Amino acid sequence: MSELKIFLLIALVFVLFYFVPFDSPIVAQSILNGFKMLNDYARQHVLLCLVPAFFIAGTISAMLKKDAVLKLLGPNAKRFVSYPVAAVSGAILAVCSCTILPLFGGIYKKGAGIGPATTFLFAGPAINVAAIFLTARVLGWDLGIARMLATITAAVFIGLTMELLFREKGSGGFVTAQGNEGDLRGVVFFLLQLSFMILAGLRINNNVKNVGLGLIGASTLMMATFGFEREKTKLWLSETWDFAKKILPYLFVGVFLAGVITKLLPEEIVVRLLGRNDLWSTLVASVIGAFMYFATLTEVPIVQALRELGMAKGPTLALLMAGNSLSLPSMIVITKLLGKKKAFTYFALVVLFSTIFGMLYGVVD
Amino acid sequence: MAKKVEVFGKGCARCKQTIKIMETAIKELGVDAVVEKVEDINEIVSRGIVATPAIAVDGKIVLTGKIPTLEEAKEILTQN
Repeated sequence: MSELKIFLLIALVFVLFYFVPFDSPIVAQSILNGFKMLNDYARQHVLLCLVPAFFIAGTISAMLKKDAVLKLLGPNAKRFVSYPVAAVSGAILAVCSCTILPLFGGIYKKGAGIGPATTFLFAGPAINVAAIFLTARVLGWDLGIARMLATITAAVFIGLTMELLFREKGSGGFVTAQGNEGDLRGVVFFLLQLSFMILAGLRINNNVKNVGLGLIGASTLMMATFGFEREKTKLWLSETWDFAKKILPYLFVGVFLAGVITKLLPEEIVVRLLGRNDLWSTLVASVIGAFMYFATLTEVPIVQALRELGMAKGPTLALLMAGNSLSLPSMIVITKLLGKKKAFTYFALVVLFSTIFGMLYGVVD
Repeated sequence: MAKKVEVFGKGCARCKQTIKIMETAIKELGVDAVVEKVEDINEIVSRGIVATPAIAVDGKIVLTGKIPTLEEAKEILTQN
C-alpha cells in the first residue's frame, strides 16, 4: 500500500467518525443489525458451508489435474463439447475470480475462440461450489438451483451469440507446466468433501445427518493423513488457508454492510426500483449488477438484505446473474482483451440475458 | 549472461508471493538472474498462459498455476 493510500484511508475513517451521528436511533439500529447479521452467518453458515467450501477450493487447486479439462477448451475441440464444458468447468478451473480473466483470454485467443470463452467468462464466477451452496442456504434452494441452471443456460446463449456475431476462433493452444499434480485419489478426495457439504445442506433427520457428517468427516481426515504424500497434504492445507484468508475478511465486511443497509436503505426505494417481477425492475437489477463490484460471495448477503427490503424474485435472480460476472473493474480488463466493440456487445448481452432469465423466473414464480 | 526469470500474473497476492520466492531462491543460490514482472494481460495471454502465477526462464515457460515452494524455485533455476 502506498503512503498516499494509507493517508486517504485514515482520512476517510476520520471523516466517518467525525460526521456520523451515532446517537440517532437509526444509526444505532443499523450498526446493531450489522452485528446481528454477522452473528447469524457465524452460527448458520461458517462451519457447515464456508469452511468445507474452502477445503474444497484447496483440494481443487492442489490436487486436481486441470489439463484434461483445458484440452476440451482448446483450438481443436468440437463445438458441442467446448460450449457445455465452458459453461460448467468454472467449478474446477476458476476457484477465485482473479484466475478467470487469464483463462478467458487464453480460451479466446489460443483456444476454442470467442464463443466458448465468453460462455466461460459469464458462468465461471457463479458456478463455483461455495457460491451455489451459500446462495442455496441463505436465499433458499429454489433460488440456488435456479441461479445455477439459469447461469449455465444463459452462458451458452451468450457465447453462441458472440460467436455468431464475430466468428473468431483461437489458435496455438495453451502452455501448461503443472507437473504431476493430480490423480484419481484427488478426485475421490474432492467428491468426499463435496458430499459432506451437500449432506450438511440437506433438511433431513438431524441424527442421521450428524452420523453421516461424522463418517464423511472422519474418512476425509483419514485420507488427508494417510492417502497422500506429506508435501501434497501440506499444499492442500496452505491453499485452503490461502482462500480463507482472501475471502473471509471481505465476506465479513460484506455481511456487516448488508445488515447495515437493511436498516438504513428506505424500503420504498427498493420496492419502487426492484419490487416487481416486471421488465423495469428486472432491467434495473441487471444493470446494477453489471456495474457493481461484489467481492467473492458477498453478493449473497447483499442480495439477502435487498430481499428483506422487498426486492422481488425475478430481479433477485437477475442481480445475482449479472452481479457475479461483471463489475466495473472487470469491464476494464475485458475491454482491453476484446476491444471496445466486442466487449460492449458482451456487456449488453449479459444485461439482456440476465433480464430475460430474471423475468422468466419471476413469471414462473 | 544473466538468466531472465519472468513471473506472470496480474498483481494478485499469489503472484507477489511467487516473485518473492523466486528472488529468495536466486539470492540463496547465488545465480546470475533477474526477475521481471509481466502484468499485461494481453502479453500473458499471448504467451499461452491460462493459469497464473506462471514462471518462464529465458523465455521458456516452466511453471503455471501455482506458487512454487523454495525448493521448487531452486530446481527451476538450476535446471533451466
